[in-house]
Amino acid sequence: MKRQYLAKKIIQSLVTIFFVLVFNYILFRVMPGNPLAMIMRNPRASQEAIERTRELFGLNQSWVVQFWIYLKHLFTGDLGISFLYRQPVTEIIVARIIPTVLMVGLAQILAIIVGVFLGVISAWKRGSRVDVAALGFSLVTYSMPTFWLGIILIFVFSVSLRWFPTSGMLTPGQSFSSTFAMVRDAARHLVLPVLTLSLVLIGEYTLTMRNTLLDVLTEDYMTTAKAKGFDDNYLIKKHALPNAMLPMITLIAINLGLVIGGTIQVETIFSWPGLGRLMFDALKARDYPLLQGIFLLITLSVIVANLIADVTYGYFDPRVRE
Amino acid sequence: MKRKWKVSMVMILVLSMMMLSASATDAGASPQTMRIGVTVEVDSLSPFISYSQIGFEVFQLIYDSLVMLDENLETVPGLARDWEISDDELEWTFQLRDDVQWHDGVPFTSADVKFTYELLLENELGMYSGYLGGITEILAPDATTVVIRTEQPKANMLMNACPILPAHIWSEVTPDEYDTWPNSSPVGTGPFKFQEFRPGEYLKLVASDNTFHGRPGIDELIFVLYANTDTMAQSVVLGEIDAATNFSPSQLDTLDNNATIDAIAAVVMGFTQLSFNSWDDPSSTAHPLLQEFPVRHAIEYSIDKQRILDMVYSGQGSVGTTLVPPEGFYHYEPSESELRVYDVLRANQVLEEAGYMDLNGDGIREASDGTPLDFLLTLRADNADEVQAGQMIAGMVAEAGIKFNIETVDDGALIDKIYAGDFDMFIWGWGADLDPTTILNVMTTTQIGSMSDSNYSNKTYDRLFLEQQTIMDPDERREMVWEMQRILYEEAPYIILFYDNSLQAVNTSRWTGWTRIPEEGGYFFNLTNYNYLHVQPVAGVVDAAPDAGGGIGFAGMIIGGLIVAGVASFLMFRRRK
Repeated sequence: MKRQYLAKKIIQSLVTIFFVLVFNYILFRVMPGNPLAMIMRNPRASQEAIERTRELFGLNQSWVVQFWIYLKHLFTGDLGISFLYRQPVTEIIVARIIPTVLMVGLAQILAIIVGVFLGVISAWKRGSRVDVAALGFSLVTYSMPTFWLGIILIFVFSVSLRWFPTSGMLTPGQSFSSTFAMVRDAARHLVLPVLTLSLVLIGEYTLTMRNTLLDVLTEDYMTTAKAKGFDDNYLIKKHALPNAMLPMITLIAINLGLVIGGTIQVETIFSWPGLGRLMFDALKARDYPLLQGIFLLITLSVIVANLIADVTYGYFDPRVRE
Repeated sequence: MKRKWKVSMVMILVLSMMMLSASATDAGASPQTMRIGVTVEVDSLSPFISYSQIGFEVFQLIYDSLVMLDENLETVPGLARDWEISDDELEWTFQLRDDVQWHDGVPFTSADVKFTYELLLENELGMYSGYLGGITEILAPDATTVVIRTEQPKANMLMNACPILPAHIWSEVTPDEYDTWPNSSPVGTGPFKFQEFRPGEYLKLVASDNTFHGRPGIDELIFVLYANTDTMAQSVVLGEIDAATNFSPSQLDTLDNNATIDAIAAVVMGFTQLSFNSWDDPSSTAHPLLQEFPVRHAIEYSIDKQRILDMVYSGQGSVGTTLVPPEGFYHYEPSESELRVYDVLRANQVLEEAGYMDLNGDGIREASDGTPLDFLLTLRADNADEVQAGQMIAGMVAEAGIKFNIETVDDGALIDKIYAGDFDMFIWGWGADLDPTTILNVMTTTQIGSMSDSNYSNKTYDRLFLEQQTIMDPDERREMVWEMQRILYEEAPYIILFYDNSLQAVNTSRWTGWTRIPEEGGYFFNLTNYNYLHVQPVAGVVDAAPDAGGGIGFAGMIIGGLIVAGVASFLMFRRRK
């Protein structure tokens, strides 16, 4: 039974991936605008030069042939050459993955820990001052515009207090005496973007956690368990949380899947060299190969994260397996 | 087991906080580093691929050209120490410096010049090939002599900013690769050597000891990419960077209030224009009524350019008139009788005299055949300023009984529309050279389908264009260029809305010797590398950037403390009860 469930989920994911491939491919080609004009950017280009470029990027072939070539190259890890940067797409994307995952990943982890913690407390102490404070905090940060929050944090921590640098991932052009020095420099640069992003994310986790836990807490079996004389800590850990965690798993999985896509806003405020900004630049320049590469990466990670969520669900909730 | 995990987690947190709070120790003989904040990064390190202003700026630091511009924008020797022109004005002989080496130690010779020019002329690649127009032959009779022949006299020969590339490196590249070879580690002869480019972060150059310019006062030059100008402005104030360009006007005052910072609105050779589709080709969808000069004139009369400048651009820039921007020698200023200044009454009067009346009372004037003055204005979606300006213009022309419908599209879609002749009018801008040839060329008939964005065609103009390139006497040439601008102003394929400003800031407490070029111009992006060569560090002032946070230890403690407290209380909550 379980193996079948797993196989079904994997096949579903593969089918989704294929449709995404086709969709991505078509999407960028029905967008208005001629990519050649963007590639050449040379009003003086001769007809031969134009032809050469068309050939180079495969634009002289029909859509179908181009799609076939695209699929073939995809399986060898070749995502093509970026129109904008004239470099292999894979190289460009790989260079941006580490900064993105580092920043967004850390922020997500921080937000999940704090969010779940706040959610549990406020559900357990519903109506108390702690609950009101946690709820207020979550709602305020949740609804705060990211850009504004980031600027405020820069103003407080960089401009007034001068504790952290305003932007970038490393002090630009600095040569470091040791790896330790470099890690320290990166860590200093990480604090504000991670803080900004996690503040914005905490609310979502807190509110979801609180609501689902509240639902569970009003279930009859909780009253029964309480009547049996279990202590509160045991009640929450063994009876309430396992059930309340189910929606959280989905939420966490989807959000972790989106980690790879970066966040355009935070990356823009702090000039972080992440994938979100790369995607935005690629979109502006109509850089099909690069866009396709990034979209593919993001969809893959979301699909994989969903697959993991499904499988974990099956593990946590026997009902799903049947 | 579980407890151990918790303990180690707290340990990690504490350690990481200690790491954060440890004071900066990267000392040693620190080089004089200048960091310049920019909002656009180089699109390529290959001069054949790059089309950007920042590319131009970086190439003139890494490479040299035969001649260059000094702080007065006068031509001075570059790689060529001297030159002469034959009596028939068709042959130029350049004497090259004999002591120049490439950054990799290979001697520079005339063969490099010949190689570069021939390659560009043959392939017409990149932003520099235009400078070489008219050259028919390049000879290198000996290692320090280059002879350049032209068919006609070439007036802009000494305005040629084309970088000379090393033949020993580029000859390895096959012609098929010219438009993709990334040149990821450029080797030049210029005052700065390329060191590192991290896309999305920064580009780093270091001073070259081995250059005819003499060693610059800047040891390391770093162009730092900022994704937003608010943060960039704060970075200048904090000293994280020493200079920056491309602020928004609102940040200028904040910066200028700072004693150590000089913030300027530099006049640049560029403008923003409203382009009309002038194409009479059958495939073009140009509106026939927009071909009428009175309609174009009425539109210009009804636009309050100064008000748009004030409202949209915070007053940065100046009201525009003719094609060649006013900073140059070749700008034509319309006489009082020619000049069209904002005057709605006049706009209405011009239309009435030309027979456009609002017959059906809907507020829009019609031609005698009943066609209304109803046009489509296309704007670039990702340029908020242009969109806002376009909306204001639509409101203003309505006062004269003209209707502008607005559509916003992205850059690529607009370029397609221009090539297809499928537009009425749009707004965008051009940057111009000191020499007027490139910008004048935009309006020639041969550029339709290429550089032309109004599909304008005028035989007299075309003839004058070819002629002015060959007139060696500047005053005589200027007469011709003026006449060309007069034609354009009368027929108005463009309404030049504004001449642009570039907002720049430099730190004057750490660096001294900044020069605005020209007088009202900028410190950077001013067609010269003068400031990069002449700015000197102020003695005794230490680079602020590496440890901008003096109180970092304290900060680390607090943040660390908060996180530790948070995690600890989480763990305690779990253990309690």
